[in-house]
Amino acid sequence: MQYSYIKPRSKTIFTKDMQLLFTFFGVTIFMLFSTYSFLIFRDYRFKQDLADISVQKEQLSSSILKMNQQIATIEKQNLMSEKIFTKNSVLKDSINNLFDLIPSRVTLSEAKIMEDGLILYGITPNKDVYNFMLQAPLRSIFHRTYSSFYPVENGWLRFVSTNYIDEEELKDEN
Amino acid sequence: MISRFLEALYTKVFINIVVGNSRTVVYIEACSKDKVLKITNKVFDTVSMNSKMYEFIKLNAKESPFYYISVLDRSSQQGAVPTCSNSEISKYCDTASIKYKCYSKSWAYYTSEYDLEATKHEYRSTGVDFIFSPFVLMANFFKDKINTTLAMFVLLEENYISFSVFDNSKLLYAEYLDMQHKDEEDALMIDSSLDDDEDEMLLGLDNTGGIDLEEIEIDDDNSIDFNDFGDIEDLDSGDTIDEFSEEHDIEEIINKEKDSDISSSGFNEDYQRFSLIQSSLNTFYRDSKYDSKFVETIYIADGVGISSDLKNYLEEEMFLSVYIRKIDIALALCDIAKAEVNAI
Repeated sequence: MQYSYIKPRSKTIFTKDMQLLFTFFGVTIFMLFSTYSFLIFRDYRFKQDLADISVQKEQLSSSILKMNQQIATIEKQNLMSEKIFTKNSVLKDSINNLFDLIPSRVTLSEAKIMEDGLILYGITPNKDVYNFMLQAPLRSIFHRTYSSFYPVENGWLRFVSTNYIDEEELKDEN
Repeated sequence: MISRFLEALYTKVFINIVVGNSRTVVYIEACSKDKVLKITNKVFDTVSMNSKMYEFIKLNAKESPFYYISVLDRSSQQGAVPTCSNSEISKYCDTASIKYKCYSKSWAYYTSEYDLEATKHEYRSTGVDFIFSPFVLMANFFKDKINTTLAMFVLLEENYISFSVFDNSKLLYAEYLDMQHKDEEDALMIDSSLDDDEDEMLLGLDNTGGIDLEEIEIDDDNSIDFNDFGDIEDLDSGDTIDEFSEEHDIEEIINKEKDSDISSSGFNEDYQRFSLIQSSLNTFYRDSKYDSKFVETIYIADGVGISSDLKNYLEEEMFLSVYIRKIDIALALCDIAKAEVNAI
């Protein structure tokens, strides 16, 4: 049943007032959602950063642990080197002292330095020179000293001097 | 679907504008579904849209986005024809610039497209949603009688008469009568008569002792054929003679007419309505285009508050059975608008 000559104008709830109201609420809601989205994004980024930092922290912890281990190793190596240096210094001094002990008339051909002993090979013009000038200082240093001689073609004597320091006696002395 | 749902939630405001002789009634109903929430009725002393009316309409229209403004068609070119077929309508009127709509697939009402645009233009400030034909208003008002009887059905407005003859819901004849236009035609005829033959008129007055309305209207094409109703002629001429018996000058006659208009306007209007109804009925009987049947009953929808004179004229001069029903045109217009909105 449509009796009117004309059709009614299309009606909408979006009148000017409503449009203004919807625009206002739309902008407000948009701003709220934007803020909410921004906060969510920041929260997500913060969590991501936190996870990254945790990973970095773990990596750093592990690297610190490795570095500590390396430091410990280096310290050990340093101690060892110091010991070796000391030993070498002691050995050097010992060798210097040994060579200082050797009189000018005696010629050494070989020397074997051991932990608790010293074996010397050399040539002496005679036994007396050896006994008085070399054996006497060696006896003052070592606990046991053994010497053996055998002649060489020019009339000199080749000698082998074996000297030992006893550990038990060293303890007793201390 | 969503708009339907939203529409159901909102209050609907029906703004009905009824233009009268010198005033306009704006009747407003605010409805929620079938419940009437508010009724507002205001009369403006104007026949066109003025600022006060505009403000009043806009104020009420603001109550809801779903407001509908309805007006009655005032085109003098409008009418109704007993067919819905486009080819047959041309027998009754010029179809070149008319818009017509079918009513119950049996008859059609039409109007001038130019006048529709003029109405839209007139209400361009507020807009208009519905323009209804007075014949639709009348057909809805007399729905119970139209379907069952052979009778004349008349809708009386302040300046207009919608005249129709129905035979068991079949339209036989319809005519839209403009009383104001008729008045102007009469006035023009009087003026032209005065200009052309003033002396003759004066002589006529002297000879007869008054103005005979029959003589004034005798050359009008649309005038009533008083030969068929001789008694009316006597009644009319007698009153008029008494009224103007002392007059000797044309200017005085016109002044006298103006004075007497106030006191006897009701009588004059009722007589004019009677004349127009009589004229239309004669056209119906005489015009071969229409399927003439003898009509004994007239149903009048009284939208103006007529006196008993019209009833007496119709009963005594035309021997009709007269039934008068009061109609609130604005309310009837509102009811059609509501039905129209529900039908969309």
